[in-house]
Amino acid sequence: MKNWLICIDDTDDIGTKGTGEIAEEIALLLAQTSGGKASFVTRHQLFVHPDIPYTSHNSAMCFALQSPLSQAEIHRLAVAHLVAESAPKADPGIAILDVDSDYDVHALIDFGLSAKREVITKEAAYQLAEQLQIQLTEHGGTGQGVIGALAGLGLRLMGSDGRVKGQIKLGQLEEVSLELTVAEILEQTGLDAVISTDKTRLAADEKVQLKGKVKAVYLEHQFVLLVAKDGELWRNAGKQALQDY
Amino acid sequence: MEQELLQQFEYETERWIFRAGLQQYSEARQVAQLCPRFAPDDEDEQVDDELRSCYNCQYRRWMMTSFECLMLKNTVLLNN
Repeated sequence: MKNWLICIDDTDDIGTKGTGEIAEEIALLLAQTSGGKASFVTRHQLFVHPDIPYTSHNSAMCFALQSPLSQAEIHRLAVAHLVAESAPKADPGIAILDVDSDYDVHALIDFGLSAKREVITKEAAYQLAEQLQIQLTEHGGTGQGVIGALAGLGLRLMGSDGRVKGQIKLGQLEEVSLELTVAEILEQTGLDAVISTDKTRLAADEKVQLKGKVKAVYLEHQFVLLVAKDGELWRNAGKQALQDY
Repeated sequence: MEQELLQQFEYETERWIFRAGLQQYSEARQVAQLCPRFAPDDEDEQVDDELRSCYNCQYRRWMMTSFECLMLKNTVLLNN
């Protein structure tokens, strides 16, 4: 099995299937096809600027894959699904990184960080991808999605950026809290840790009150449930607190 | 379009910009209540715990200091 990191961007339009959902479908497809394993999908916020065309948010979606498939097979399967599911007006791009290859991780992270604070050109993305031997391809429209796709790889590799796509459902209700220990949460979700908004790591026996929409973030190279103190209780962090990720 | 709703936006260079800016959750929720076209964005793109909020709407296009309402842009153009 080889380790891959795959990122897509600019696949949607108002009212169409979101990029995160398409990424999750590709992850599942690739894992099932090969008997491999895909990670959670992470969402990485990029720069919002009038010169950058985006639907409503400008975010890229990334996942890790362990698979015996060749790069050509991964690309063929992923692109077929990407093209089939992207909105007609979208500008999709995909980036595939062989994580075990010898590449300059710092250059890729720097590119990701730059894409959070400045306008970057497609040419710059292709140039870096060629330099680092990352497969970067566009599939319709202007192909601007290649910028976010490459940037998303860098941000995921940085290890502390992005929210995990989807919600964590453990039986909690919108208005009624469900109390679980950290150990129970980790066992039932596949997450790696429970960490507070001020970066304190909770012990396995500490209790957390879960209510409403529960989401995870990517922090310190781990999938993390973010919690905040409410009096003496730990509660899952609200969306406002997750905005920094 | 409700005048009360339009007043919450500044019209500049053909864009309807939310006057209150970013992280003004109370205002964003109030304005969404006034809006007949509110449509929630993909859940992963929502940033307000209260669903009916302009910050969660698929017609909001984030900017550096606020957001542009694409619904107003389209609706007002159509009406004119």
